[in-house]
Amino acid sequence: MLQLNLNLVWEMINLIVLFLLLRHFLIRPVTDIMEKRKKLIADGLQNAQDAQNDAMKMKQEYEDALKGAKQESVKILENARTEAKSEYDRIVGEAGERAGSIIESAKETVRMEREKTMNELRSEIAGLAVASAGKILGRQAGSGDDQNLYDQFLEEVGEAHEDTDK
Amino acid sequence: MEELNCETVFTLPVIGGISESVVVTWIIMAVLVLLSVILVRNLRVENPGKVQLALEAAIGWAQDFFEGILGKENRRYFPYLITVLLFLGASNTIAPLCGFKPPTKDLNVTAALAVMSMCLIEYSGIRKNGLKHWAKHFAQPVPVVAPIMILEVVIRPLSLCMRLFGNMLAGFVVMELLKTVVPVLVPIPVSFYFDIFDGLLQAYVFVFLTALFMNEEME
Repeated sequence: MLQLNLNLVWEMINLIVLFLLLRHFLIRPVTDIMEKRKKLIADGLQNAQDAQNDAMKMKQEYEDALKGAKQESVKILENARTEAKSEYDRIVGEAGERAGSIIESAKETVRMEREKTMNELRSEIAGLAVASAGKILGRQAGSGDDQNLYDQFLEEVGEAHEDTDK
Repeated sequence: MEELNCETVFTLPVIGGISESVVVTWIIMAVLVLLSVILVRNLRVENPGKVQLALEAAIGWAQDFFEGILGKENRRYFPYLITVLLFLGASNTIAPLCGFKPPTKDLNVTAALAVMSMCLIEYSGIRKNGLKHWAKHFAQPVPVVAPIMILEVVIRPLSLCMRLFGNMLAGFVVMELLKTVVPVLVPIPVSFYFDIFDGLLQAYVFVFLTALFMNEEME
């Protein structure tokens, strides 16, 4: 029972063989797989971290861009407003001017019309006066006196007319 | 008490007698290698099966355990320690599981294990700190302790050997006596204690102490 013999050597050889076999068949493959998985997980985590960093960066950029766009839009709106205001002023002013000129021209036309009409009336009245004067005076009067006569008449009539106007 | 003897199974012409424990060791080796070949066959990095997960958990536990003692830089010693752990676990519990006499109740087996551990302990010390430092460390801290330090080289594996051998032999003797006195039912819980629990505990203690001594030697 308590004896050491050559079997000790066989046992040692057995152990070494078992160690080599197990290392080759069991421990190496399992360790390799575990290492690989660990690496995979570490890579995945790294990738996720990178992706998150990228996303954060992009978000920051977008936010900056958005902020810029907002300011830009406010500026554009302001510009448009001032432009519209000036355009409105211009158009209104123009319209006022045109209306003024139209009214002016209308007044002018009316004035000219009136003058014309008055002139016509005047000559007609003169004609009537000459005719009536001729009838009254008969045929003695010369044609040179005629002119003086009706001019004189016209002056009287005109004064009388102006008096009635007043 | 003839169960205590290690019979010679057969005799080879030149080498001599091959004892029972060597044959049982061969059987254990065959079973372990076969099992590992079968279990390791379909390993996958993604979507591991249940068997693979259990295997990885076991190996991972052992590696973490040794890493806690020896540190990450000594990963090269882990396979041998795991091998010894598996072998001792199998051989200590083989009595109730398969009916063989445990090889570890033979002094030759535990002595072989202890000699291997001794070689490993001294080798790790020499490899880490160099031959000079290894030779010098016997005279530390004072030269007077040199004889004791040199004795320690032998005493450490001897204690490993005798602890394992004594535990397994005692367990075996108690179990055999109990089986002759009360052959029915009573041996079952006792066998769980002496063969399964004590066997696994001794396997754990053996590799734990070996790793601890290696760590001590590497300082």
